[in-house]
Amino acid sequence: MAEAVPEEELTIPRAAMNKMIKEIVPSVRVANEARELILNCCSEFIHLLASEANEICTQQQKKTINAEHILGALDRLGFNDYRTDAEAVLKDCKAVAAKRRRQSTRLENLGIPEEELLRQQQELFAKAREEQAAAEQQQWLQLQAEAQMSLQQQGDVPSNSEDGEYS
Amino acid sequence: MDQMEENEIELETVVLDDTADEILPPSTEKIATTNIEEANKVEKIVRFPVTRIKHLVKMDPDVNLCSQEALFLITKTTEFFVECLSKEAYSYTSQSKKKTVQKRDVEQAIDAVDALAFLEGVLDS
Repeated sequence: MAEAVPEEELTIPRAAMNKMIKEIVPSVRVANEARELILNCCSEFIHLLASEANEICTQQQKKTINAEHILGALDRLGFNDYRTDAEAVLKDCKAVAAKRRRQSTRLENLGIPEEELLRQQQELFAKAREEQAAAEQQQWLQLQAEAQMSLQQQGDVPSNSEDGEYS
Repeated sequence: MDQMEENEIELETVVLDDTADEILPPSTEKIATTNIEEANKVEKIVRFPVTRIKHLVKMDPDVNLCSQEALFLITKTTEFFVECLSKEAYSYTSQSKKKTVQKRDVEQAIDAVDALAFLEGVLDS
């Protein structure tokens, strides 16, 4: 999805923001100006957080900002309140990622040795090939039959037994 | 006859999942990356779009590369931020017995909380 938003106006999408605000303070109206301000504050927050984390990252002589740097930045900026929740999210992230890894390796735990699985796979392929060939054969005969019928209808060629010799 | 050749079946060889992982050099960060993104689609960890936040982060020329986990954290903490700021602003709204959160309420919240001092540049006055 190409975003043609000029950088200076880059913010979180308003719709996402509005949805969030609605959940935080339901049945309360929020003026557009207030929403706009909150939106801009978010951008500032992100810049600040990234900048601080980047400093920590550089101090540690690392090239990539990682989760630890972000947590450290939160502390430095006086947002320790967020830290606990942030750590919980991080744990969630890792847990879900680990779960997906386990799910993808479940194939190993079927108890069927790999050679057997490969053999079964080849069998299935061979079967599929046969079925496909049979289906095409069927199609081909059908086409022939139709062609023959249309020729007969035109009355030009009398039905000829030789015509049935195609294989 | 020609048609038969055109319709030749092309079977894709399906490689069993995990042998491939072992043959290639394991890149844990990369696997964690795809997994977090996919996982987020299934069990929403963050609501705000991570890509948009990535753009915001990259706007700073000094900023280095940022891991996917870090981006997720930034996204999540921004959500906390919105929550805090909104609730704080609303406290001023209800104090003045109004029903609509105004810009003024948000401004007051910014003034009141020390940690939000960095936002004073965003205010007009």
